Amino acid sequence: MAEKTYKFISQPRRAVEDRRFVAGRGKFVADLDRPGMLHVAPLASHYPAAIINKIDVTAALAMPGVVDVITGAEISAAIQPLINGLDTPNVRRFPLAVGRVRYAGEWVCAVVAESRAIAEDALEKIIVDAAAQPFVLDAEEALLSTSPPVHPEHGSNLLLDKKFVWGAVDDDFALAKHNLSFSVTWGRNSTVPIETFGVVAEWNGWDQILDIWASVQMPKYSDQISRCLGLAGNAVRVHYDIDVGGSYGVKRGIKHATLIGYIARKLGRPVRFIEDRLENMRAGDAHGPERKFDVTMAFEDDGTIRSMKMRALDNAGAYAGRAPFQLGKPIGAIVGPYQINSVSYHALSVTSNKTVQEAVRGFGQAPTNYAIETAMDRVANFLKMDRLVLRQHNLIRADQFPYLIPSGSTYDSGDYHTVIDKVLNAADYSALVATRDRLRTEGMMAGIGVAACLEPSGGNSSFEPLLNEANKTSTWMESCQVNVDALGNVIARIHTTSSGQGHDTLVSTVLGEVLQIDPDKIRVTRPNSLESLPGNSPVGSRMAIMLGGAAARAAEKLKLKIVAIAAHCLGFDADKLVYSGGDVLAPDGSKHSWLDAVELAHRQFHNLPEGMDPGLASFDIMQVPTGDALPVDGKVQMYPCYSFEFHLVLVAFDPVIGRPEIRSYTIGHDCGTVINPAIVSGMTYGGIAHGIGATLFEEFAYDANGQLMTQSFLDYLMPSSHEVPPIEIVKHCTPSPHTVFGQKGSGESGYLGAPAAISGAINDAVAALDIHFEKLPIRMSAISDAISNKLA
Amino acid sequence: MKAVKFDYKRPATIDEACCLLAGDHNARILAGGQSLIPMLSMRLSRPSLLVDIAHIAELTQFIETDHHIEIGAMVRQAVAQVNPLVKTHIPLLAKALEYVGHLPTRARGTIGGSIAHADPSAEIALVAITLNAEITYQDGEDDVVFDASDFFIGPMLTLAPPSGCLVRTGFPKAPAICGTGFHEVAPRRSDYALASAAAQISASVDGRIEKIDVGVGSVGDFPERLKVDALLTSDLGDDTISQVLHAAMADIETVEDLHASAAYRKRVATELAIRAVRDALNEIKKGTRQ
Repeated sequence: MAEKTYKFISQPRRAVEDRRFVAGRGKFVADLDRPGMLHVAPLASHYPAAIINKIDVTAALAMPGVVDVITGAEISAAIQPLINGLDTPNVRRFPLAVGRVRYAGEWVCAVVAESRAIAEDALEKIIVDAAAQPFVLDAEEALLSTSPPVHPEHGSNLLLDKKFVWGAVDDDFALAKHNLSFSVTWGRNSTVPIETFGVVAEWNGWDQILDIWASVQMPKYSDQISRCLGLAGNAVRVHYDIDVGGSYGVKRGIKHATLIGYIARKLGRPVRFIEDRLENMRAGDAHGPERKFDVTMAFEDDGTIRSMKMRALDNAGAYAGRAPFQLGKPIGAIVGPYQINSVSYHALSVTSNKTVQEAVRGFGQAPTNYAIETAMDRVANFLKMDRLVLRQHNLIRADQFPYLIPSGSTYDSGDYHTVIDKVLNAADYSALVATRDRLRTEGMMAGIGVAACLEPSGGNSSFEPLLNEANKTSTWMESCQVNVDALGNVIARIHTTSSGQGHDTLVSTVLGEVLQIDPDKIRVTRPNSLESLPGNSPVGSRMAIMLGGAAARAAEKLKLKIVAIAAHCLGFDADKLVYSGGDVLAPDGSKHSWLDAVELAHRQFHNLPEGMDPGLASFDIMQVPTGDALPVDGKVQMYPCYSFEFHLVLVAFDPVIGRPEIRSYTIGHDCGTVINPAIVSGMTYGGIAHGIGATLFEEFAYDANGQLMTQSFLDYLMPSSHEVPPIEIVKHCTPSPHTVFGQKGSGESGYLGAPAAISGAINDAVAALDIHFEKLPIRMSAISDAISNKLA
Repeated sequence: MKAVKFDYKRPATIDEACCLLAGDHNARILAGGQSLIPMLSMRLSRPSLLVDIAHIAELTQFIETDHHIEIGAMVRQAVAQVNPLVKTHIPLLAKALEYVGHLPTRARGTIGGSIAHADPSAEIALVAITLNAEITYQDGEDDVVFDASDFFIGPMLTLAPPSGCLVRTGFPKAPAICGTGFHEVAPRRSDYALASAAAQISASVDGRIEKIDVGVGSVGDFPERLKVDALLTSDLGDDTISQVLHAAMADIETVEDLHASAAYRKRVATELAIRAVRDALNEIKKGTRQ
């Protein structure tokens, strides 16, 4: 299929946001300085579990500069619990601990003071009388009936226990010649943005409006704040024109905004809270999935995978959050890019006395991809088959699309074999194998890793109704408004914050393409939530599809109006006219220019077609393509688009030192039509860097006493530029049939397969010693210790 | 992460600094601030007075004596790294400095600050111990001199006089024919090391090995010199080196944490020490050192 060519889309154009960021001219929440602003510092619990008997704030309140101390008792009497997506009414949660603390770091109370330093001084004067309680950290232990429930009112630690059987699993297992079982564990890591979460709230009593400026990436943010605070939805004004310094899912900030909004309203002064790094890491409630997989594969001698049984046990931390739903997204791609006839999936989510888990890049897909790809490696090793050949044998073929997987989603398009071939060529696979083998003869441990996986994108959050029948949501729209002013300039409005995704560039490029005008002359603005159309913020790799789609559709509507005005003026039927570069051309050579249309729409109502309203404006509220049904029998179409990536990695390390070095990294990436190549490549590079972190370095690790050991960048190690190797991206484009330009999602790319590929390479390096690393991250010490044990 | 309130003074002379330190038992010296400032922010350190010694000109000098290069306490690591006296006379330190943090932290961090801070994984302390540098404090009006091999007594613990100010560290000048080796392993480049090793070996003109100094760092409470005298009378073959260093490491106690097991630290420190010794011998053999 020949790729369509575009004037602006897919062209190497600079992201319009870059200039202000590179020059240090971004406007972040911490840059706000409201007159009379107060500052907040929360008191963090030292206990992983305790009953709070008494909080004595007398001495703190008596300090000069201290304005108030808010406790859980106070706030829980004044506001509603935070929204919980599951049907677990007794897992209640407020911004501050109420009666009981459930993880070390949890906020016990909050000091409000004239400065943050004074607030921190006051924290030291608060006396908490608490009685330590038994606690549980491990997910398997949390499942046991003998374990202390994190929420005694709930009765157990079980938040979610769903069993799905898609297809004839038992029959397929009975027929298949071989079975193979293994377990792997994905360690608790996250995206850890440079900018911690921050929020400023200000109550305007005369207008009865709560203004919120927040470093946020959260669907329905203002709705949630209003509900918790008991305010009308139109009494909360979230300002979207604030830059967000990184997120990839974690900037949810509901407890923060609810707390700070409550204080601002109570005290009638602007209030600011910017997490410091300790607060962000131990109580930002922004840890990612921590998941144990037990997998059994059924397969034949020739490598054909028949069926898969997967049990996924996720450690959600102390409250429900959105963590359990991260077990739901992978259902939309539960067989990865492979033809697997049937699947059983047992999704379990438990509470533990750890920090609360939130959405992280890929929303649970990266851990599942890691489990699926480990399965492919294990099966290949078992059959003594080449890992690539096994994958190629089982991959869905290009001629099989659209392809319905057992769990009810239909993959839109793809050409997996071609992408893999392109990567093997680009990386010179046989030379790579020769290099690995040469390194081995030189005394190094060397291994090659491969991973093929999918990035489901643009969905309507249908994992929510799938995992919670009480939830009937299928709508997951995004909106865009376009207005042409009286001078002929184009203004687009988008209704969300951005955390580095380049939405201004996305929208101006799409509008420029459709309207055939220079994108750099289009102004993109972000009104506040009260002035916005409905939307669901950038989650689930959706904005190229949904915001790009809404922008294109709004522009098409505008174009129709321009052509209708021209048709009326030039005396032709609209279908005889050609829209070209903003002008409208008639068959007789006459032209109705962009400015002619502007003149008529803005100033000459008498010359407009009868019944046409003045002005040149349009908007579009777009629903997710294919997102038109609720789940039936545990099946649902989850995502409209499926991007594909294939990773090929060479890793080498000294057997004594054990420090993996990535010697070669090539990724093939097919996310359909690319809107802006630099932005997509940036996402992919960053995703791989994050994947390197998840595989080798990053973990929110707890000691036996329930204390988070990695509370700062001293111990929570993220890969630096030294640890991220040069990465070659091999591009391929299989357009999606469901989107306006054939685009698919790309915001999670790289991260979704890098851990599988890198861990696969390490395991390949030690395969001769019969070592399998079954838990991420794989620390260098563990590598060296395992080799040393084998050789001893 | 806001520091507890403190006073701040910026003396112009060492005497003045000592006076300030003597007047407040809860005063702390601020040098490059690469460790102290984060500790202040996290309230792990709560001094009532910070004595900023950055403006004491005397503390930024390099002085060459007969047997030592004396480096002023306030000399920035990045400055030491490119100093010709260091390159010529303390090649082991020059090598080690490449591993200290990153260029931006070396631009602020100081030689004296690192020694006084006594982090078990500090490269500068490891070199000081390996070469047995002389560490000089001024306490009141008196100079107090420590051998580096006695100075460090625990993690972040030294024999430094409570009201003293570290003035200079005298590193012994390397003999004319000499080789060095320095190795370090960390999860990421320039992280706190999981194990590190330094070696300096000198020879006579006829090629006879005269002195072997080997130290390991990051494995226990402070860097330690290894007993490798057996090497002096040996054939210096690979097997012998390995044997002697394994024996020397046998009694070294190593610590365990999230990032590395105790066994790892011992195994890798041993391996790095072997490599450092081999590097040093190779330098002598090849005459790589000018």
